[in-house]
Amino acid sequence: MRLLLIEDDELLGGGLRDFLRVDGHAVEWARRLGDIEAYRGEPFDAYLLDWQLPDGSGLEWLMARRQSGDVTPVLMLTARDLLEDRLRGLDSGADDYIVKPFAPEEMVARVRAICRRSAGSAGARIRVGDVEVDLVARCAWLGDERIELTSREWSVLEALVLRPGRIVTKAELERLVLGFESELSSNAIEVHVSSLRKKLGRELVETVRGMGYRVGAAP
Amino acid sequence: MRLSPSPSIGGRLARSLVLWSVLWCAALGAAVWVIVQEEVEELLDDSLQSAAEGLIGPLVLSLTEAVDPATLPPRSKTSGRFTWQLVSHQPRVHLVASARGAPVAPLHDTPKPGFSDVPGWRVYGQATGRDGQMVYVAQTTEERVEAGAEIALAALFAGAPMTLLAVLWLRSRIHRELRPLRDLSERLAHYDPVHPEATLGPAERAELRPVHAAIDALAGRLTRRIAHERAFTSHAAHALRTPLAGIDAQLAVALREAEASHRPRLQRVRTAAERLQRVVVALLAMFRTGAEVQRNEIDVAALVARHPIEGLALEARGTTRLDADPDLLTAAVLNLIDNAHRHGARSVTFSTPAANVLRVQDDGPGVDPARRRELRAAIEAQDYAGRTGLGLMLADLVARAHGGGLSLPDLASGFAVELNLGTRDA
Repeated sequence: MRLLLIEDDELLGGGLRDFLRVDGHAVEWARRLGDIEAYRGEPFDAYLLDWQLPDGSGLEWLMARRQSGDVTPVLMLTARDLLEDRLRGLDSGADDYIVKPFAPEEMVARVRAICRRSAGSAGARIRVGDVEVDLVARCAWLGDERIELTSREWSVLEALVLRPGRIVTKAELERLVLGFESELSSNAIEVHVSSLRKKLGRELVETVRGMGYRVGAAP
Repeated sequence: MRLSPSPSIGGRLARSLVLWSVLWCAALGAAVWVIVQEEVEELLDDSLQSAAEGLIGPLVLSLTEAVDPATLPPRSKTSGRFTWQLVSHQPRVHLVASARGAPVAPLHDTPKPGFSDVPGWRVYGQATGRDGQMVYVAQTTEERVEAGAEIALAALFAGAPMTLLAVLWLRSRIHRELRPLRDLSERLAHYDPVHPEATLGPAERAELRPVHAAIDALAGRLTRRIAHERAFTSHAAHALRTPLAGIDAQLAVALREAEASHRPRLQRVRTAAERLQRVVVALLAMFRTGAEVQRNEIDVAALVARHPIEGLALEARGTTRLDADPDLLTAAVLNLIDNAHRHGARSVTFSTPAANVLRVQDDGPGVDPARRRELRAAIEAQDYAGRTGLGLMLADLVARAHGGGLSLPDLASGFAVELNLGTRDA
C-alpha cells in the first residue's frame, strides 16, 4: 500500500515510516499541512493523519478533503482521547481513530481494515474470480493452492485489488507500489503484471488498452 | 470515616417551640390562677360584706330574743355554703340567732369586726350597735377554694388547646419556611457548574441570596480551574502520548531489523515501554478533572484479550459484562494486571461476583493479614502516598469515580481486588 503519513513528531513519524516500509508499504511523510501540497494529485491507499499539526488542524484539512470529493481512507492518529474528540474525528470524515500511544502493529491492522472496507470487502480476504487475496498473510490463493508472490508482485496485486473495477494507470501503479522512490525500469510494471498472470491466471488482471490495468469487473 | 448526624434546624426549632409553648402555657396558667384567686377572694369577700350589711337591719329590728334555728325555714342546698350568726357578747357570749345549719357555737367568742378566718369558714363580722351584738356572715373555705380552682382549671383548659394549635401551626410554618432550603439541596444535587447552561435559579428567600451568591462564586472558580486543568491535561496528553508512541514505533522497527541475539533485550525494553504507556494513560485518564464517567457496556474478557502480557495468563470466568467508563476501567484493570505481573503472579482471573462488581484475582504471593488491613485502611482514608501502590490507588479512584469503591477480600493465597462500579442512577 502507498500511504501518506502526516505527523509532525520526528520520533513517531520516523518510527512509523520505517515500520511501514519494513512491512512492505510505500510511505510518504509530511510533517506539516503545508508539506502535503507536494503530493497533490498523487494516489494513496490511505492517509495517516495527526490531529494537531504545527501549521493547523489535521481535522480541518480532512474536512476540506472530504468536501472536495477525496474518498481516500483516513486513519486519525491523535493524543486526544476524550469521547467527544473521537466522535468528532469520526464524524468529520475519518474512517478510523487510534489514540496515542499505540502499537504500530495495531495501526497497520487498522489501515488494512479501512482499505479493505474501502474496497468493498469486510473480511481479510478479497475474492476476484477464482483468486482470493489475503491482505494479512500477503499472499494469494488460487482455489486451494497458496500462491507465493514476490514483494513487488504483491504490491502490484494489492494496489489493484484495493481498487476493484477501477482502471489504474501504469504511472499510478508505479507510484502506489514504490512512491517517489521508484527506481523501477520503464517496463517493470508490465513484467510484474505478466508474472501475476502466470501465477494467478490471465483473467485476473485486465489490460485496458491505452489506459492501464483493472482487476474485477467494471462498475 | 463515619460522620455523626447533623442536628436539624427544623427539629431544633420545633423542639424549642414545644418547650417554650409548654413553659408559656404553665406560666400563663400560674399567673391566671394567682390573679383569679385574688379577684375571686376579693369578690367573695365583697359578697360576704354586702350580705352582712344587708342582714344587720332586718335582724336588729326584728330580733329581740333568741331564735331557735330549727324554727327557721329549710335552706336550699346551695345556701349551706353560706351562713350567718347574730351573736351577743354581753354579758356573756351567746348565739342570739343564726341561719339553719349554721355552727351551733358562735363563730367568735369576742367581737371580731371585719374579715377573719375560723376553721372551715371565712367570716365577716359587723357590729349591730346594740349591746355588743355582732352579725357574722360566713362562707365555707371549701367553697371558696373550689371556686378558685374551677376558674383556674377553666383558664388552663381554654389555654391548652390554643397552645397545642399554636404549636402545630408553628411546626407547619417552620416546615414550609425550610422548604426553600430543601429545594436548594435538590437543585444542588443536579447542579453541574461545568455545564454551560447550568443555573441554580433565583433565591427563594432573602436569607438564601448569600448562599446562592457563594455557590455561584464557587462554581465560577471551579469552572475556571477545570478549564485550566483540561487545557493542561490536553497539552500534557499530547506531550506525553506522542513520544511514547514514537518510542514504541522505533522499538518495533528495531526489533524487526535487529539481529536475533539483540531481540530479547529490545523486547524487554519494549515491554517496559508498554508498561510506561499504561501508567501514563491511566494517570491522564484519572487526572482528566471534570470529565464525567461515560458509562458503556464493557466486556472485560474482550478488554483483557486486547492487552496480553507475556508470561501472565488472563482468564475471564462467567459473565464479565460491566456498565462502566471504558477508558477508566481499562486504566484500572491494566494497572492491576501490571501489579500482579510485577508481584510474581502467573495467572489473573476476572469475574463478577455481584452486579457491576469486578473481581480481579491473581495467584501471586499475596499479602499477610496485617498488610491487608493496612491497605484497607489506606484505601478507606484515601491516604495512598507511601501506603499503597499506583495500581490500587488508580483502581480505588476509578471505583469511586463510578460511585462505588474498592475492597480487598480475604484470601488464603494470592491477592484479590473487587471494584464496585456503582450503578447508573447512584
